[in-house]
Order: sequence, then C-alpha cells, then structure tokens
Amino acid sequence: MATLRVEHLNKTFPAIERGSDATTAIDDLSFEIGGHVFVSVVGPSGCGKSTLLNIVSGIETATHGSVSVSEDGSPARLGYVFQEPRLLPWRTVMQNMLYVLEGEDVPDRARDYLRMVGLDDAGGKFPAQLSGGMQQRVGIARAFAVEPDLLLMDEPFSHLDAITARSLREQLQGIWTEAKKTVLFVTHDIAEAVQLSNRVLILAPGGRLFADLPIELPYPRKASDTEVAMAQAELLRRFEEMQEETDAARATDVAS
Amino acid sequence: MSQATTVAPASPIAGVGRLLRSPLTARIASYLFLLVAWQLLSLYEDRFPPPADVFGFLWIEVTGGSHGGIVRGEFLEHFAATLPRFTLGIAISMVLGIVSGVVIGGSKIAEALLKDTLLMLVALPAIIWAFLTQMWLGLGDTAVVITTFLSAFPFVAVNVVQGIQAVPRDLRRMSGAFHVSSYRRVRHLLLPAVTGYLFAGFRFAVIIGWNAVLLGEWFSSSEGVGYQARYWYDANRYKGFVAWVILFIGFIVLIDRVALVPLQRRAFRWRDTQVKQAQRRVEGIDVAVTGA
Repeated sequence: MATLRVEHLNKTFPAIERGSDATTAIDDLSFEIGGHVFVSVVGPSGCGKSTLLNIVSGIETATHGSVSVSEDGSPARLGYVFQEPRLLPWRTVMQNMLYVLEGEDVPDRARDYLRMVGLDDAGGKFPAQLSGGMQQRVGIARAFAVEPDLLLMDEPFSHLDAITARSLREQLQGIWTEAKKTVLFVTHDIAEAVQLSNRVLILAPGGRLFADLPIELPYPRKASDTEVAMAQAELLRRFEEMQEETDAARATDVAS
Repeated sequence: MSQATTVAPASPIAGVGRLLRSPLTARIASYLFLLVAWQLLSLYEDRFPPPADVFGFLWIEVTGGSHGGIVRGEFLEHFAATLPRFTLGIAISMVLGIVSGVVIGGSKIAEALLKDTLLMLVALPAIIWAFLTQMWLGLGDTAVVITTFLSAFPFVAVNVVQGIQAVPRDLRRMSGAFHVSSYRRVRHLLLPAVTGYLFAGFRFAVIIGWNAVLLGEWFSSSEGVGYQARYWYDANRYKGFVAWVILFIGFIVLIDRVALVPLQRRAFRWRDTQVKQAQRRVEGIDVAVTGA
C-alpha cells in the first residue's frame, strides 16, 4: 500500500484575461495518507479538490511545494476514476480495460475486475450499449484492474441518478475492503464522504486545509445507519463553521 | 386497470403504402424523373441527344462494337489507361495528406506556418492544376498524376488536421493518468478518433481526384476517359460526349456504393450501435406513449 505525502502544495492558475487576477486553487496544503485507508476530500465547488487529484496523478504540475507517492520507497502505481466514465467509445468494454493494463495476466485480471463490479457479460459490448451506471462501473473496474497502490476517485457518482449512486457506493465499500487499496476520494457530498471514508479532509475556498477528521465506524456502512447520520451531522457542523469563517474573512477583506 | 394491446393484421393496402414510402422507391423515382426530364428536353433542343441515343452509344462503347464502321468502342482500353493514373494520384494524396495533417494538427507552429497555404490549395480548382501541369510537364502520364494529386491532397490534409484537433481532451487526460504508452495512444485513441475525418477526406479525395484526372487527360493525354470525352466533344458528337460523361459519373457512384460506404459502415460499427440504441430508446418511449 502506498504513502501519499503532500507538502506545502500551492497551485495558481494565471489570469485568463488581461486585467483579471490569477486564481489560487490550492494554498499551502500539507497532509500524509498511507495504508488501507479511504480518505475523502470535501469542500465547496472551486476549492481545488479536482486540481489536487490532477497534481497527484501527474496530469497537472504544482506551482510550489511537493507531492510524492511511493510504495516502500519505489514509485507507486496509480488508478483514476473520473467524474465521467471516460471510455473509448470505439472500443469494447474489454478493449477499454486492456488499453490501460500491462503484464501477462492482463485478460484474466480484466475479467476478474469486471466480475467484481457485476459486469462479467459486458466485455464484448461497446460503451454506448451500457447504461450510465454500468459505464461508471467499467471505469471503476478499469481503475482497480491496474492494481494501483493509490486509487484516485474524482466525484465518480455525481453524474448518476440517486438509486444507481447508492448501489455503487455500497458496492465500492465491498471492493475496497476486498482489494485493500489506499483511496483518495474527492466529493462535495458530505453524506457520501461519511458513508465511505475513515478519514475526511475539509478544504476551504482557496484550497486551504480547514479540518482533518477521522470517521471511526465499522464497514459496511449504509446511508440510513444511525451512527452514519450522527457522523454526518458532526461533519456538517464543521462544514458550516468553515463557511462562517470564510464569510467573516471575506467581510474583513472588503472592509479593509 | 389492465391495458389491452391489439395488433391489427397487415393489410395489402398498408403494404403497398409502405413500399411507396420506402427510400428505395424514392431513389428509383428520382432516376425516372431525371430520365423523363432529359427525354422532354431532347424533344425541344437538337443539341441535347435523347437518352435512347446516348445509351445506344454507351452500349457500343462498352461491348466494343462499331460506330458506323468508323470508330470502334474502346471503353476498356481507356478505363485501363485512366485507373492507374487515378490510383497513383490518390495514393500519393493519402500518404502526404495524412503525414502533413498529423504534423499541422499536432503542432501549433506547423499550423501557423502551413494552415493558410493548405486552405489556399483547397480553394484552387482542379482545372488550374490541369493547365499548370501541362505547361510544366507537357503531355503524358506525369502531368495527369500530378494534377490528380495536387487537387485531392489538400482535402485529405485539411480533414486529418480537423480530426487530430478533435481528439477528446478528456480521453487524452485519461490516457495520461494511466500512463498509457504512445503506441497504444496512437492505435486506440488517435487513429479511431481521426477515422471519421479520414473517411470524409478520402471520399472528397476520390471525387475531386476523379474530376482532376478527367481534366488532366483532357489537356495532357492521348488516351483515357478524359481524352475520350474531349475526342467526342471535338468531333461535335454530343451523344458520344454525354455517354462518356455518364460513364465517368457512373464509375464514381459505383466506387462510392460498392467500396466506400461498406468500409465506412464497418469502421463506424461502434457509432451505429449508439444510433440503434438511441432509436430503440425512442421506440420504447413511443410504445410507452401509445400504450398509456
């Protein structure tokens, strides 16, 4: 299992138009995760959650600071589940799996993970022949099939209907428990973060770390469990605290 | 309350109605309309030969018969002269069009340097190349091949440039996140994404190239389809000229139906599946609405 170390990370996007200001997406962010953990990053829109995942995966570069992902000292393998399935529409489900996999046991591995998400018979189908929920399950199977040391998930259920998302959340807990991966999960849904994670990082606007909270509840968890509802209420209270602080800081800025 | 669905037996009148509304009937009707219009025009205009005369002439050309004992039908010989020139011109256009399309589409500097030149080449009509190549190279195969190549090439390149620039950014980033090798990216992401544009470019190249080969042979050759059209035109034999034009058009329609359309259908199996799926969903809604 991997260790992800984020130290004094800063990401600033240059101004798009002349006269406008540069945007700070992440500001002096530091944290470390490792082992069989499911860590969620929650925060309002535009607080740099997806940017953080993109920097960790290497799609984007940091302005300052450092990010390192290692597995016992050597570079770690990463998997990524995006907001949308991002499947190649002209390739079948099985070909989409094979596109990202390396190694000798690749077809078997692809079949195993498709079975794990309940899509054993879908290998020969094109993405357009599957529902949105099934396509997202292929995206999840693809990321797990890489057998990553660190799995990055960027609001993977936000585009799905409530019933499909609920079923996939329960399925994901089972897969994570079985596959024993380190997961960094981005969401703006507090209920989802509480149901899935054993640690939650709250990011404030501007990409500042506001709180780092453990969720010590046994798995599997259901959204309707009383303990989950209580943990949700506590997290929501901290979230509101963060919003009040942000509003107060903004008011002071305007006054000065 | 339960819902009963009744299915009416198919009546012969409904069957005839369906046949009349079918695309095949519409296509046959359009050909018949053209023939009738042509026949009517030929009744009032002497220089417009009637369809029967033209098709009679065509028959003699194709079967190698004789036109009044003077000139023999030479369809096969002239097509055999044209096809290698056309094929070579198109092959060069495809290779150079793909290479330059990839370069221009993949590099901002190359795009700034070359895209305007490419658009100028697209705007240049084939007849200008036919004149220029005859001036530069005189009579012969080379002038015809170069005319075909220069006329078809920009259409391939422009389409490939568009295809390269239209590769979905999300899929490129997904490939980056999974560290997919360059070979796999080209084979499974780039090529399929560009295929649609490449087909469009190829179809344009074939049609424009076929026109160019006719013009090239008209000015720079003593054999071939273009030369034959000019021969009958110069001889003031309109039915001969129209017959060769029909052969010319018939060939391109045949190539499109027999080769290009099936190839395109095969390459876009995945997209057709998408369309069929959507149609099924719409039919499902129709059934639900009808049953409600």
